[in-house]
Formats: sequence, C-alpha cells, structure tokens
Amino acid sequence: MKFGVVVFPGSNCDEDALHAARDVFGQDADYIWHKDADLKGADVVVLPGGFAHGDYLRTGAMARFSPIMASVRAHAERGGPVIGICNGFQILLEAGLLPGAMLRNRGLKYRCEHVYVRVEQIDTPFTCAAKRGDVLRIPIGHGEGNYYAPADTLERIMKNRQIVLRYTDPKGRLDDEWNPNGSVNAIAGICSEARNVLGLMPHPERACEALLGGEDGRTIFESMIEWFRSAEAGALQPVRSASV
Amino acid sequence: MRARVFVTLKPSVFDPQGRTIAEALHSLGYASVADVRQGKYFELDLATTEPAKAKQLAAEVADKVLANPVIESYRIEVGEAEPATPGGQS
Repeated sequence: MKFGVVVFPGSNCDEDALHAARDVFGQDADYIWHKDADLKGADVVVLPGGFAHGDYLRTGAMARFSPIMASVRAHAERGGPVIGICNGFQILLEAGLLPGAMLRNRGLKYRCEHVYVRVEQIDTPFTCAAKRGDVLRIPIGHGEGNYYAPADTLERIMKNRQIVLRYTDPKGRLDDEWNPNGSVNAIAGICSEARNVLGLMPHPERACEALLGGEDGRTIFESMIEWFRSAEAGALQPVRSASV
Repeated sequence: MRARVFVTLKPSVFDPQGRTIAEALHSLGYASVADVRQGKYFELDLATTEPAKAKQLAAEVADKVLANPVIESYRIEVGEAEPATPGGQS
C-alpha cells in the first residue's frame, strides 16, 4: 500500500511520517507538495504535524486553502483514509472534514511530553489492529490541542462513536490530571462519521522505534496496513486516490 | 471604504488567554477589572464606496476566513478609510 504525506510550507513532521511508513514498515510512501492536485495514487493521505503556513490567523486556517486540499477532500469523500496528526488534525477541523475546533491549551503552555491515550473504537482503518481499551504511550507536542465542540456537536459525535482516542492515566483510567490540554471529554482523537478520516494530537510516527523512546505508535500504522490487507483480500473495497 | 472586523471567542467558549490577562491585572491591583476577553482585529480596505456593500463583503470574508464559526463570533464597523489610530493615543 502507499502512503502520501502532504507537505505544507511549515510542516515539520513530514519526514518522520515518511520515515515511519517507508523505513519502519516497508511501505511505499511519497511526499505530496501542497500546491499539487495529484495524490500520486496514495491509499492513505497523511497530513503531518508542524506549523502549516506559519499557523497564521488560526492553526490550520490557511492550509485549508492549499490546492491539494480539494483532492484530499475528494479522497475522503470516496471513503479513502486520511489521517491528520497534530497540525494535520487542526487542518482537518478548519477544513470541516472533522467537527469541532481547537483552542489554546488550558494551561497556555506548549506541551511536549509522552501521554497515555486509550483506544475507544476499533472499527476504523487506524485502530483495527488494537483492542478496545488498549492504552498507548505516545508523545505530544502542541500549544493548541484543547479540543472543543459545542454541546450538540459533542452529543452527535458521542452517539456516532467518533471519539477514537482519549487521554487517560497509564492504566487507562480517565483522570483530569492526565488530560494535558483541557480537551473536552479528554478527547485526543476523533474520526469522521464515515470513520475514514482520523484527527489526533499525539504523534504515532514518533513512537514506532524503541530507540526513539517507545513503540506504541506502531498500532496506528499496523492498523492502516492491516486494514488495506483485508481490503485487498476482498473483505472491503479499497479506495485508491486517482493518479492524474 | 474601510471595514473593521472584531473577532472574539463566543461567550460560551472559555478564553484561557483572557483569563490569564485578567489574573495579571488583578495581581497589579486592578481589582475592578472583572474579566478580560482577548480577540483579533482586522482592517479591510475595500474598493467600494457603499457602506452596505462594504459590510456585506466584510461579513462574507469573516464567515469564510477571519473567524471560525465553531468557536468565534465577530462584529463589523464600516467607515471612511483613514489611518489606524496609533497605539497608546486617543
């Protein structure tokens, strides 16, 4: 399968994402410049972390207007998986591909540390290799990861089981002390209603090798790979981005 | 014409920056500052002379780009184009 990593001016986790996909998991992977329209046949589109367009105005606000985003939206609408990590999550929110918005962290500090997240849903292309309730230790690095959604939106995403990851203590218990940014309902990651678009603040691509301090991020990549393997085996219909 | 757009977090959304500024003011002795909300301010120079059109255009731009309707609301003032008031002066 092929990963396409979108590169915006100001992206800084694009190389980490490509390294994880290509070098750690041996998959085909390529960069996609934000001014292009071609997703280069990618099965999974990755919107990496960083500070796209300098995060001017609001985080992710300018990136939404990058030419590639029309293709990303079309890919998502066809059912193709899109994963937005950190700044990528912020972009997906601004683009309206996921509901809600990001606020400044509750404590106003940029938080750069390992956190624990509990897998809430496993019927997504990003968590299908996990067990429900698995606790993953994955790093974060953000100043605006305080997820917010108005009450009616929140009710809807809970009803649709769109909360995929929540901040917990190391044993998987919800505890406000372990919520690093004040996110409502300790939300660390949500998926779209159709479940093929995921946004998450933690960086799984930074947690795929023991040398880097942990391997729990592998679950997310292994899920995507596993999901495509079953798709190609005929259980599901794989969605490939069209190559222009 | 010039349109001024004031973007603020909705009253229902907690503003940690405004809160921190309020606390700083309290520690400086300004106990009468009950609360602070921080926002953004934009000046748009528009190639129109009709106030109604200017306001409509500014609202369109605010809806699409300047404000995020999930968390923010905005207010628009329309007037003659003039230089911005220098900081600290009235």
